[in-house]
Amino acid sequence: MSLDTLRYAPAPGHFDEVTGVDGAAREVWRGVARALGPLDPATLLERQRQADRLLDAEGTGHLVHDLSVAVGRHSAEAVAARSESHPWRLDPIPYLIERAEFDWLAAAAVQRMRVLEAVLADCYGPRSLVATGLLPGRVLHGLTSHRPAAGGPGAVHRWLTTYALDVARDRHGAWHVVADSTDAPTGLGYSLLNRGVLTRLLPDGLRAAGAAPIHETADELRRALAAAAPSDRRSPRTVLLTPGPASDTYVEQSYLATRLGVHLVEGADVVMRQGRMWLRSIDGLEPVDVVHRRLDDARLDPLEPGHVGGGVGVPGVVWGARAGGVVLANAYGSALAEEAAIGDVLADAAIALHGEALRLAQLPLGAAMATSPVFDRSGAALHPRPVVVRLQVIRRGDDHVVMAGGAGRVLAAGDDAARPSAQIAKDVWVVGGLPSRPVRVVAPPQVNFGSSVPTRVADSMYWLGRAAERAEVATRALRVVAQQLEQDPTLVTVEEGAWALGARALLRAAQAVPAAPDDGTPVGEWLSTEVGAAARAAGAQLVALVQEAASVREYLSATTGRVLGRLARAQTELQQAAPSPDDLDAVLADLAALSGLATESTVRGPAWRFLDLGRRIERALAVLGATEAALGPATGPMALQSLAEATLAAHESLVAYRRMYRSDVDLDAVLDLLLHDDTNPRSVAFQIDRLREHALGLGWPDGGRHVEDAAIALLSRVDDGVGGGRRVSLDGLVISVRGPLLALADAVVRRWFADPVNPTVVRGQ
Amino acid sequence: MTRFRVTHRTEYAYGRPMADGFTALHVTPRATAGQAVLAVDLQIDPAPDEMETVEDDFGNMVTLLAVHVPHAALVVHSVIDVDVVAPAPVGEDVPWEAVAEAAASARGDLVLEIGPYLAHTEQTPLVGGLSGLGSLTAEFAPGRGVVEATRALCHRIFEEFRFDPGFTDVTTPLATVLAERRGVCQDFAHVTVAALRSVGLPARYVSGYIETAPPPGQPKLTGVDASHAWCSVWAGPLGWLDLDPTNDQMPPQRHVTVGWGRDYHDVPPVRGVVIGAGGDQTLTVAVDVTALD
Repeated sequence: MSLDTLRYAPAPGHFDEVTGVDGAAREVWRGVARALGPLDPATLLERQRQADRLLDAEGTGHLVHDLSVAVGRHSAEAVAARSESHPWRLDPIPYLIERAEFDWLAAAAVQRMRVLEAVLADCYGPRSLVATGLLPGRVLHGLTSHRPAAGGPGAVHRWLTTYALDVARDRHGAWHVVADSTDAPTGLGYSLLNRGVLTRLLPDGLRAAGAAPIHETADELRRALAAAAPSDRRSPRTVLLTPGPASDTYVEQSYLATRLGVHLVEGADVVMRQGRMWLRSIDGLEPVDVVHRRLDDARLDPLEPGHVGGGVGVPGVVWGARAGGVVLANAYGSALAEEAAIGDVLADAAIALHGEALRLAQLPLGAAMATSPVFDRSGAALHPRPVVVRLQVIRRGDDHVVMAGGAGRVLAAGDDAARPSAQIAKDVWVVGGLPSRPVRVVAPPQVNFGSSVPTRVADSMYWLGRAAERAEVATRALRVVAQQLEQDPTLVTVEEGAWALGARALLRAAQAVPAAPDDGTPVGEWLSTEVGAAARAAGAQLVALVQEAASVREYLSATTGRVLGRLARAQTELQQAAPSPDDLDAVLADLAALSGLATESTVRGPAWRFLDLGRRIERALAVLGATEAALGPATGPMALQSLAEATLAAHESLVAYRRMYRSDVDLDAVLDLLLHDDTNPRSVAFQIDRLREHALGLGWPDGGRHVEDAAIALLSRVDDGVGGGRRVSLDGLVISVRGPLLALADAVVRRWFADPVNPTVVRGQ
Repeated sequence: MTRFRVTHRTEYAYGRPMADGFTALHVTPRATAGQAVLAVDLQIDPAPDEMETVEDDFGNMVTLLAVHVPHAALVVHSVIDVDVVAPAPVGEDVPWEAVAEAAASARGDLVLEIGPYLAHTEQTPLVGGLSGLGSLTAEFAPGRGVVEATRALCHRIFEEFRFDPGFTDVTTPLATVLAERRGVCQDFAHVTVAALRSVGLPARYVSGYIETAPPPGQPKLTGVDASHAWCSVWAGPLGWLDLDPTNDQMPPQRHVTVGWGRDYHDVPPVRGVVIGAGGDQTLTVAVDVTALD
């Protein structure tokens, strides 16, 4: 058996997924081991590397880096929370369950979901378990997860639409229950994500092993959610309600929303009116019928007593759901079924309410578990480790579907089986039995969210556009100044420091901080400090960019995740040491890729329009700022030559200039290219043309007027008048064009984004 | 029988206009064996865009309202007329252990009724130690009558605890109240129900009002100018018996019941959420309860 080459040695007399109890390879593994091909250390190491890369590329890379995420831009107490997401590693060896055994497990999972449904209906309804003494009233009513507002005559008729069951084998190989998830079950998205990676890693292996496909489960969920809608809705609209980018499972929520083709919304994105839920979109309020709830009971509705988490949640949603205006899947109050006190009486409740004995028993606390081979990258070896398998059940109408596969979580030493730290995941394959179907590589579709865009998304897209442009400008200005200095260190002495002052002003303009006046300090004392500060500022802009992107990643193309992952890593280098031109070029290449993805791979809907609007405004302001900073001072020809080149280069126009003019720098020609040339994609005129299109596209004449004001101001001629050491005519032009652009930026925020703020709980009396 | 008119005005000033506001009120009294509700007039300013009154899981009347226009303040003004019948004299006392045993072994409708009120909640936890509930439950000596022991507990809380507005708010843990021996009526009600539940007796937290001006010759009671809170103990064959530890009354006199629950969180007079840029909240409450002749 090929695993022997890795000297895999599970403990004797202890059930192992590969070798069973007796040490001989199990039937299911004998078949699949061939399909997996050679399992030598080098192959496994290579597959591991590939898996890491693919997982990163799926868009998880930038979300799991240890960056803070912006929370509640509009809230009075906007805070930066640390993302709770952590990187995980996908083991290159799948976890195998034989078909007949899986069918038995699936039936047990469905049975358990039915029993938990019956327990919830009973605890919030007739309470027969309490009346008969099986579940003491003082126990049930002392549980904080028992929500009085969920019970009584207005209680819902359906509690669970999704359910996740953690199971594990004990040391004899028998399956047991580890934990139930009923509040906001996680794992379906992770399973699809992990399977996507292994499918690309081992396409032949999956087919040859006859592993059941799982991608249809997302469609099942979509249909189940639609079927749960209030009966009077003809084409129900579903949203996925997330706690936000700081949530520990945000990666999964974002991935799943994309797969389902539904909006990923935060509490502040929706509002309750007349018992119904509405999505705040840039076109006004749009109705929502079904909520796939990933915000747990405790944080769902701040109007509820016992609510935790301050302003998180949707006020009035529990009230609306009781009245039947919106369906919560799962229903509010479902967390009750996860309580240990419920688990303790579940076996009796199954008989009392369901007339059946539970098929699966609880894994006793501290019981020794079976092991599976897990690849250890550092030692390039396989180690036996316990694994908890999460099964996903979806209920549609009265039918239950169990995903034929799922996610396994490898227990680290000292882990509680019910709460694994889960640094290593296993893709679970159900093999044998059914004829294998062709395996199809499933990439997340490019979802066209159509004309409906949540206000928060438009807001984040706009600031993402601005942050991306700002990061690019800051990085390129740094690159240009460092390069000029490297090529000609004598520049610092040109015209008694005129170049150095201009370069400093250019760096500062790129960071949007005011230029410092010349206080006569020798250039040598401050220039290197200035370059270091610019590098840190550029790093900070990258952080802002990655943060904004985190909350809208389902609107960006799938490849964007890979680029953002690299930028998230690059910011660390920029913040730490003086970056080399090579580092800066790498960052610029990634920023260019990001810009290209935004142009070529993003659906041109309203979300994209706000992204581009942000970018165009920022770029126009940046060109004006650079022109004012570097070309405004009335320097002599030596300094002007270098500073004009720097300004052109900082705005990607130097090559164009040389092609057009093939001469030394001529100020009029430089200004024409940077300001007026509407064929230069970096010029102010070009940005104004795009802004005009966006104002038209949005049907926004008020915005259009600001654009026209800027366009008219740009028409004024620049002469060579000088005063107070500055080119006053150029200064005048910059100021008169910048005014309407700043007014436009202000109007964008007021017209399109104002409003959503997090709710505040008022004091009691 | 006494007819009371309750006038209760609550004003929240938010400092700045709020775009949206959601509020749950427990101000409409429920009908009880000793209380008939004659008239309820509830005025909200600004006029709410949504409002409905429903029965909650404890049988109380809860009013849910929402305001969707910018508003810098919310005023809830209620005028309520009720007839209150003085409780009948209690029957012969029974040993408290027998009541606790009956509560523990209850089944059917009885356990559904009393079960919730045996639970220790977040606001009524089982607090141990010398300064905890144990020192109070010494009143429950073996064989003592449930009414006599409860009355002694009520008296002891009245004697040992100082009424100190401003020391606590609705978030103060019970352990702090027990350690400092002071608080307001909500705290005394929590202490009492936690102590009763700790010996196995079902006990409710009751929210309501008491008469503002005392009848001639009687002292003014504590807690007259705001919502009041007291409790109720299940005494087996004697049924539910109310007691007011803040005023050392068992049975309470001149009280109007709004509703009950396991603790304050089940029946807060007002619970609200507003959406808008944060300002400085101020809360003004005025309550007047007058006997109508």
